Amino acid sequence: MSVLAAALLVLLAATPARALTVRDMLGRDVTLPAPPRRIVSLVPSVTESIFALGGEARLVGRTDWCDSPPAARAKPSVGGMIDPSIERIVTLEPDLVIATDEGNREETMQQLGRLGIPTYLVHAHRVAEMLDMVARLGGLVERGDAVGPLVGSIRGRIEAIRARVAALPRPSVLYVLWPEPLIVPGRASHITELIELAGGRSITAAMGESYVRLSLEAAVARAPDVIILADHSTAGTAAGRPSPEKWQRLTSVPAIKAGRLHSIDLSVLHRYGPRIPDGLEMLARMIHPEAFR
Amino acid sequence: MTDGRRLALALLSLGALLGVVACTAVFVGSAGLSARAVASALTGHAAPESVESIVTLRLRVPRVIVATLAGGALAVAGVAFQALTRNPLAEPSVLGVTSGAAFGVILAQIAGLGASVTDTLAAAGCAFAGALLAAATVYATAMSSGGLAIQTLLLAGVIVGIFFSAAITVIISIVDFNRLGGVVHWLLGNVAPVPAGSLTAFALLAGGGFLLILRSARELNVLALGEEAARQLGVDAEALKRRVFLAAALLTGTVVAFTGPIAFVGLVVPHVLRGIVGPDNRVLVPASLLAGGAFLLAADTVARNVVAPAELSVGVITAFCGAPVFIWVLRTRARVLP
Repeated sequence: MSVLAAALLVLLAATPARALTVRDMLGRDVTLPAPPRRIVSLVPSVTESIFALGGEARLVGRTDWCDSPPAARAKPSVGGMIDPSIERIVTLEPDLVIATDEGNREETMQQLGRLGIPTYLVHAHRVAEMLDMVARLGGLVERGDAVGPLVGSIRGRIEAIRARVAALPRPSVLYVLWPEPLIVPGRASHITELIELAGGRSITAAMGESYVRLSLEAAVARAPDVIILADHSTAGTAAGRPSPEKWQRLTSVPAIKAGRLHSIDLSVLHRYGPRIPDGLEMLARMIHPEAFR
Repeated sequence: MTDGRRLALALLSLGALLGVVACTAVFVGSAGLSARAVASALTGHAAPESVESIVTLRLRVPRVIVATLAGGALAVAGVAFQALTRNPLAEPSVLGVTSGAAFGVILAQIAGLGASVTDTLAAAGCAFAGALLAAATVYATAMSSGGLAIQTLLLAGVIVGIFFSAAITVIISIVDFNRLGGVVHWLLGNVAPVPAGSLTAFALLAGGGFLLILRSARELNVLALGEEAARQLGVDAEALKRRVFLAAALLTGTVVAFTGPIAFVGLVVPHVLRGIVGPDNRVLVPASLLAGGAFLLAADTVARNVVAPAELSVGVITAFCGAPVFIWVLRTRARVLP
């Protein structure tokens, strides 16, 4: 009898309470002994989404770039996205690290893998993928009940902006991610989709992959009606702030003639997280100011 | 002091220096572990899955080994190139050999080679081929009827370096924008822990190159008297140069494959050592192995800690140390040579 009880105990101990296998956004199977309770996020939009879902109690680490919402700064940082300290990550004893195939390095994933720390990769280019990411994160942090309202509100705000500009004529838009060399969003970039939703037509929408190089000449030849410069500066530093002077010299371009040269806060627009509607509204106001009067 | 005693003394003191640096490197880091925790991990008293065990034994110790091997290999490659060209400024990065190797590795990375042992060996092979190509081009360009002229050699190295950097830039500009950060990070030269299998391959390749050069040390001393004199003393100068050349390219290529291009270690370390142990290659080669290891390990420990939890690239630190030494050597030592 006692042997049986002992065997049963061993069996119980050997079977993890709620082991689960989840498939990440790159189709990799990630096996976890239990729902993760100590998560390190290496992606600013993931950090934002976890906070928006109310799952921040399970977030034990972030990167230097995860500065939103302000409460995220209270979490310990593990360094940059490209060069996080693996030591610092290990110290936080995470049961899951969430990263992306764009912006983090593969070597970081390999190192974590060798140390037995599971990694879950996210990948979002389209708005639909971004909403899918929020839903998956909700599952991971066991805040499934918060997913519906959050996704519903993001979707509702996006739809409201889209409806407001849908019937208007579509100006051509040049979005400048980086001025020198000129780097612009291509076919697979979420910026291209957001410009569409904001009632514009990106002049680089048919190009290459997510981000591509473009010659200034080709940009001028495509005569954009609106030019939007990404502002890379962060609070406190002027580095990365766009310089409109260079563009203002291109007086043959319709956007310059009409005074439609804008700059936009990169940290809002480029994080495929819950603030995407804020970024979309900023874009829509630049492309269709008449719709927001 | 006899040669044997001088060698023993040099190796003993440099070994002690390396030991001190290695200890420091294992005990400090962004995890902020206490000395007691690190010690318990090192002595096997901590649980294998505890934070102190993983950080100490699986992150810091392998990284210390990689940095030591890479630094030693680069310093020995520097000694070899300096002996071959009879020029104190010759060094893998100055001669463009590092850029050639980096080009080989970038090609391998673009081809999608991963982190397995066979992939690592393939990447090291590409780096070796690139290093050989660059070194042979520089050598052939600088070789004239009267031997190697210092200025021509340095210029040839600069030109070959520029060429391979341009080739790397071409690849970078067509690579997916999202992978750019990773490639640029690699190009700055970084030390990272390497899994045991690849680490063994690294040690064997570097060890092979080191032994080849060590075995040629006596003949390299003779070569310092000039090729004509070497021939009269029974040294097959051509075979010697080929052998040392291959070994130095192997050392450079291997290091670049594992850490990315790291400059100036092969210049700073042999230069400082010559002032202490003298120009005898039989002492200089093994001494450079230890001192190069200590130097790069110290640089990496600084790189790991100054901006923690982020990290600096170690290549930045060696360049900061190396550039002033280069200028100093150029102004003093190089001038007296023909």
